[in-house]
Amino acid sequence: MNINRRRLLNWGTGGLVALTSAVGLSLGAVLRYLTPSVFYEPPQSFKIGAPADFSFGPPTFMAEEKIFVFRDREKGFAVVNAVCTHLGCTVGYFQNDERFHCPCHGSVFAADGAVLHGPAPRPLEWFEVTLARDGQLRVDKDHTVPASYRLMV
Amino acid sequence: MNPIRDAWQSIFRRDPLSTDKGKSEFVFLNVWLHIHPAKVKKENLKVKHTFYLGFITFFLFLILVTTGVALMFYYRPHPPQAYQDMKDLQFVVYLGSFLRNMHRWSAHGMVICVFLHMCRVFYTGSYKRPRQFNWVIGVILFLLTLGLSFTGYLLPWDQLAFWAITVGTNIGSYAPVVGAGIRELLLGGHTVGESALLRFYVLHVAVLPALVTLLTMVHFWRVRKDGGLSRPVWKLKDPKSAQLVAIGAPDTNAALPAVPASQDKTYGLMEVVTGKPIFETVSAEEEEDTVFSYPYAFFREGVALLATVTTVMAVSIFWQAPLEELANPAKTPNPAKAPWYFLGLQELVSHSALLGGVIVPALAVMALLAIPYVDLNPSRRPADRKWAIRAFTLFVVVNVVLIIVGTLFRGPGWAFVAPWVHIAGAE
Repeated sequence: MNINRRRLLNWGTGGLVALTSAVGLSLGAVLRYLTPSVFYEPPQSFKIGAPADFSFGPPTFMAEEKIFVFRDREKGFAVVNAVCTHLGCTVGYFQNDERFHCPCHGSVFAADGAVLHGPAPRPLEWFEVTLARDGQLRVDKDHTVPASYRLMV
Repeated sequence: MNPIRDAWQSIFRRDPLSTDKGKSEFVFLNVWLHIHPAKVKKENLKVKHTFYLGFITFFLFLILVTTGVALMFYYRPHPPQAYQDMKDLQFVVYLGSFLRNMHRWSAHGMVICVFLHMCRVFYTGSYKRPRQFNWVIGVILFLLTLGLSFTGYLLPWDQLAFWAITVGTNIGSYAPVVGAGIRELLLGGHTVGESALLRFYVLHVAVLPALVTLLTMVHFWRVRKDGGLSRPVWKLKDPKSAQLVAIGAPDTNAALPAVPASQDKTYGLMEVVTGKPIFETVSAEEEEDTVFSYPYAFFREGVALLATVTTVMAVSIFWQAPLEELANPAKTPNPAKAPWYFLGLQELVSHSALLGGVIVPALAVMALLAIPYVDLNPSRRPADRKWAIRAFTLFVVVNVVLIIVGTLFRGPGWAFVAPWVHIAGAE
């Protein structure tokens, strides 16, 4: 076969394009393979029980869901995420100063979730809480709401 | 005809070790030993120059592979069985606790030795031309060692495991653009759960050890090709030899030296190649300074191996590898501390996750990788490298101080405490 410059450049370019796409597609396929198509994880929206199950006063901690449920006589229900916005540790509520403290890196949040101290970049998230048809409270972790959000029951 | 002698000689096909030829063949006819040269320079054997830290790191890796495979026989990477299996290893399996201790303490030792080895290579200027890229491979091996430790301590599925991985993967998610993707890819989901444990297990027992093995081979090969182990050349009589010996074709287009009439010997690759052949000249004077690898080098390496194994065994008899209570996603321990070698990083992220967890470590790694390409001073003599030595020492001191602060001066809520508070058990 006769190889001249034009032929070499044409075939060379074509070959390079084919090789690059093959490598790119394979890498993409590997990344896609490693991303699960189904997540066997707890649902983001779930019921937490009847309103009467919750007491007034300090918030109720729900360990499995990692949330605090506030119930206030005048204002109603509100649900705050117990996961620290810094690096994901579970914060604790301290009644003596009415604040959330993170054990990992010392972030402190006010009762409304605002950052008072420490490395946390954002306030704690508040989740939408609604009343399901069966009279139970439903929390939706996919819907964040402003700290002022309350559900009156 | 002596069948036993014939069988022996079919296995060991070399001349008797009493002869020089036998000593050479002992090295280069043996697949395991042929990475060594048949003869080494006497200064290569000096303990005070290298402290055998590279060897010790490699031996610790061998212990880790051996004990790690042993532990795999009793370990299921699935919560909560993973934690039960740890308890079985601790209390039921014969020698289980001992093997787990060896694995854990060798891992700590390997982190220390890789770091010390890196310091030694820096202070002796051994990363200089032609060894720049081998320094880069070394830095990557250091990062892989940390990766192996990180993936390793998730496996017991205890509180430390769970919260270290929660925090660690969240640090990753602060990386710009790809952050959230990296976290999801590592965890195989959005929370630390069974898929995360399986992924870290596969990384820990297959992917990362394979990478370390391959890169170690390249690392050793290049050391050998670049003239062998580091030597304190600036102490030699000839001042020119303060630089590392370069192999490969000479840089200049000057005519190749004719084979000198002196006693110097020039070795070359005499294959059918075009272009300049590869030459290495060994002066007769230099040759006098060499000894056979067998037995001098192998004896010392054997001693280093024995000392490493004995030390790890002794430590494993007296100190138990920590195992906290079963992972509890609802309750973060207070304080939640990573193993000591990550506490410097934890101290940094306690100030800012993006700056301390992503930007500063990334810059530090890039600076380490760039060292041989930025430091173009050809001299290896410590007196000629004052600023390089000061800068690197500052880097080491900052790391050590951060780790000490994170380890001893941080209490519940990551608040500053005096170390004697821990000692007095006042927490």
